[in-house]
Amino acid sequence: MAALPKRIVKETERLSKEPVPGISAVPHDDNLRYFDVTIDGPSQSPYEGGLFRLELFLPDDYPMTPPKVRFLTKIYHPNIDRLGRICLDVLKSNWSPALQIRTILLSIQALLGAPNPDDPLANDVAQAWKEDQSKAIETAKQWTAQHAARPTA
Amino acid sequence: MKFGQVFKEALRNEGFPPEWISSAISYSQLKKCINRLTAELAQVGLDPVTLEKLLRHVEDYNKSAEASTADEEFRPFEYILSDGERGEGGKKKVFRPKLLFYVEEATGALHSAKLDKETREKLQMLAVETGMSDLRVYEEEESDGKGGAADGKESNGHANGNGARSHSPSLCAIEVPLTSDTEFFTKLTTQLSSLEALQLKEEKRMHTEIEDLGRQIARFTDPDRKANKKLLAVWRQIFQLYLEEAVFFGTTERDHSAHGAEKATTRFNEFCVKIKETGLVGKIKKREQMEALETFMHINKEILQGLRFGEINHTAMSKILKKFDKRTALSIKPHLPPTLTYPQFSQHLAKAVCAEVNTQILSHVPQIDDYSCPMCMDIKWRPVKLGCGHTFCIRCLIVMQTRKQNRCPLCREKCVEKANSDNLDLELADFLKKWFPEEVRQKQKYNELMAGVDAYGEVYKEKCAVM
Repeated sequence: MAALPKRIVKETERLSKEPVPGISAVPHDDNLRYFDVTIDGPSQSPYEGGLFRLELFLPDDYPMTPPKVRFLTKIYHPNIDRLGRICLDVLKSNWSPALQIRTILLSIQALLGAPNPDDPLANDVAQAWKEDQSKAIETAKQWTAQHAARPTA
Repeated sequence: MKFGQVFKEALRNEGFPPEWISSAISYSQLKKCINRLTAELAQVGLDPVTLEKLLRHVEDYNKSAEASTADEEFRPFEYILSDGERGEGGKKKVFRPKLLFYVEEATGALHSAKLDKETREKLQMLAVETGMSDLRVYEEEESDGKGGAADGKESNGHANGNGARSHSPSLCAIEVPLTSDTEFFTKLTTQLSSLEALQLKEEKRMHTEIEDLGRQIARFTDPDRKANKKLLAVWRQIFQLYLEEAVFFGTTERDHSAHGAEKATTRFNEFCVKIKETGLVGKIKKREQMEALETFMHINKEILQGLRFGEINHTAMSKILKKFDKRTALSIKPHLPPTLTYPQFSQHLAKAVCAEVNTQILSHVPQIDDYSCPMCMDIKWRPVKLGCGHTFCIRCLIVMQTRKQNRCPLCREKCVEKANSDNLDLELADFLKKWFPEEVRQKQKYNELMAGVDAYGEVYKEKCAVM
């Protein structure tokens, strides 16, 4: 495999040295482009208290193309589908090579705090969200408790 | 250990200059003042227990009468710290705290007060002593236990009695004469202003010190002088470590505030260890430069000391005010006038001096992070300035152009494809070449290699390696 670009080395270094509050991203030893990510559910959201696991992969032409990010933890969210794929502009059309792993993960954390049922990826969830928001939030809370529970230390 | 002792020992043992120590809050003297004040108050029967009882009674009274008395707050007594008068020429506020009791002018009843007999008698005595006539003390039996010690006082003679009060007009005020409290507050204000003066003086002194050092560093690191070549990199690394350690202020998401003395000291010590471990200190051979480094360390230590000094004084001040309240129940804390707020000695000084260190010293040695391309995070070589004003390295922009990505990565303006050789930022290029010769050389090599790969494909790399 080709040597790791300076940019990826620098980003990785900074992620471990100055981690973003509520977010961790650790590269695999055998593939430094593949990261294990966890994101804390934002407070005052239905995901509060949950710990969500994600995978993040930096393609060969990163940062010219965005990282590929996917939720591994099941989550009830109108913009995240059953496979964990995320509907977020900065991961697709609005990606910019000046964005970074940390900024993308922050955007995802923000997306948890502000679900957008008008631009759905999981149609059924978005539908439910629009029809009865408080019930949908309740479900999201239940899913959080059920699937995103923190490992007891 | 009692705080008084802790404070004394901290002042004695932590190596503060004698001038600082004499300007420190004189905790023990102030404490003695409080003791005298308590004695004075006790003489007129106003021990803290009584005063507090009075206060609580009033609070209850206010609660039950909430509806009728709307926004008017009844207090049987009031302790006024500052009367807003300015001394001659407005140079300094006259400090004259007053303990006032409100009595109803008509009846002479002490306003909704509940004092025991002894206190009442003493207050009465006091009124007589201070030359008030027509004094009556009586019990009001019917209403909710609203016994009243009463000083009837017809004249509003006391300059401070009337005026200014927005209480109901039927009230007039009687002042309990106290001297120790005036002494206490005068002392405290004087000390605060002398602390402030000290701070100004120190700031000025350090300002010159920092400026001098800044000039020295500028000379040592001037890239136009051949002799500096090696040491420029050393100084840069030292300052880079210093910046990364974020001694006085955090710069990350998790830690973005000013640090207290303790944390700053830990950080600074870590910095000291690091520059030793990396052998940077050893690389500075010239005596003159060594001395400059020592001055830099010294300035930092002075900032730390200033922080610490400010902190202990701040604690001393809040402790003494707390003690004042506890011993007298006059509850001054919520009513402190601005003259009595603690000057932001520590924080202010540290902030000012740190800013100076940054502008006067560190700025002489540019750091690579300020000149890296937001895409590859390597040095911006060669720098190309897009139409929108953002600058990137030529390599990244070539990649973007080949991929037909037209938007500026920072502002999304469509200007990448338009860029050509006219967009080369020659001035910045000269600057980078001058200050980061090694980094530029490496990036140049990389750029050439990648251009070859563009032209001939991946094999170019291997070929190059053989050569």
